[in-house]
Amino acid sequence: MNTRRVVITGVGVLSPLGNDMQALQEGLESSRSGVVHVESWSEYKDFNTRVCGLVQWDDYKVIPRKSRRSMGRVAIMAAKTMQDAVADAGLSEEQISNPRTGISFGSTMGSDEALFDSIGTIAQEKTFIGQNSMSFLKFMSHTVAANIAAMFKIRGRNIPACSACTSSSMAIGIGYESIKYGMSDMMFVGGSEEAHAYNAGIFEIMAATSTRYNDTPDQTPRPFDTERDGLVTAEGAGTLVLEEYEAAKARGAKIYGEIIGYATSCDGEHITTPSSEGMEQVMRLALDDANITPDKVGYINAHATSTPKGDIAESHASYAVFGDKTPISSTKGYMGHILGGCGVVESIIGLISLKTGLLPANKNLVKVDETCAPLDYLFEHRYGNHDIVMNNNFAFGGINTSLIFKKIEG
Amino acid sequence: MTEELVRATLKEVLIEEFEVEEDEIVEGANFFEDLDMDSLDAIDLIVMMDKKLNIDLKAEDAQKIRTIDEFVALIMTRA
Repeated sequence: MNTRRVVITGVGVLSPLGNDMQALQEGLESSRSGVVHVESWSEYKDFNTRVCGLVQWDDYKVIPRKSRRSMGRVAIMAAKTMQDAVADAGLSEEQISNPRTGISFGSTMGSDEALFDSIGTIAQEKTFIGQNSMSFLKFMSHTVAANIAAMFKIRGRNIPACSACTSSSMAIGIGYESIKYGMSDMMFVGGSEEAHAYNAGIFEIMAATSTRYNDTPDQTPRPFDTERDGLVTAEGAGTLVLEEYEAAKARGAKIYGEIIGYATSCDGEHITTPSSEGMEQVMRLALDDANITPDKVGYINAHATSTPKGDIAESHASYAVFGDKTPISSTKGYMGHILGGCGVVESIIGLISLKTGLLPANKNLVKVDETCAPLDYLFEHRYGNHDIVMNNNFAFGGINTSLIFKKIEG
Repeated sequence: MTEELVRATLKEVLIEEFEVEEDEIVEGANFFEDLDMDSLDAIDLIVMMDKKLNIDLKAEDAQKIRTIDEFVALIMTRA
């Protein structure tokens, strides 16, 4: 089968570490934390976590009112990153609205805030009177993809990718496959998540949130560390512009890197418990898709969320595929877990790594949990001369994704 | 309920919720042609005015309004 090469020509990002690629890079290099203490969560009873990774941005009026009216924060942040990515790629309205230009975006949920504002009243008072027409459009599962499509006049394929923590990595994969196999020439892809007590609450029910570092938020989460005590939810968004390589080159586009491999596969086992075998499988499938051997990968951005089971399972999967010589870090230690948005933000960190050589340290990793596999855990930043990175993400439902990016020479 | 109160409330809602510029809110202004609103905005305008003034407005009333004056007149018949 004839396939086509897929490159990244535009980037937009809002993260707890900063709101463009440069700020994100500087946040990593200075080992800053985007995790803060959230006192307002004390209004919930018997709810113990008080830490969250927050995006410092609320300039909502950069999104026109008529587009913004059906967006909660989750979609507004994504739309902002889409604006930035489109500007970064230097695209015309004709290119954006071409039938062969499509999108794929995802989030774990729609807007939690809109959901709470609307559903609570309906459930308690058993009436729909007083509800406005916009609430559902803000909290429906594909609110990010639907709103971005309307705002930017997208005419091509729109495939929402809503699979919790693999939402935006899957969206990138969908965009990659759409171009690689000839269904589209350009794809805007990414994802988003807004911070809300609900996101943290559902993990706390499962005893999976960090609660011991509420007064020292920069010390949590702690992926792979013996003193880790659970994940820290976060918010953020990101957009990548993907293009067919020859077309991008012909128009003189700035190219951040090439996607050379992607795979998604499923554990088919437990609804929440991670499977090391499933993680290993998806990494091997992505390497097969890229047609490379594991030793070619110079850096792995791990999913590792700082939960006890997940980090252990992932470390053993990584060891089974790569052995102990490939530098690995989870960058969630800097900002927490952006859930539906983590895949795209961590992929952008991979692009930063390709550009600068930065191998970001595992922030807050002091002593590796002895039950984790022996890997080349990054304790400090290093700078390498690598040209290939892998980004792994795993979600409830045993859904796994693995993406491989390569530097473009010249 | 006075017409002045209705007009003042409508003006406040249009500015606060629909980000209409104050100088655009003039007698005879058409919601759809002059204020960049559409049918979904009309439904939400009805819901907001209903809550603010505690009157009996329904979503289907949105189909009857075109201008600020028509809307004010409709509200006065329900007040």
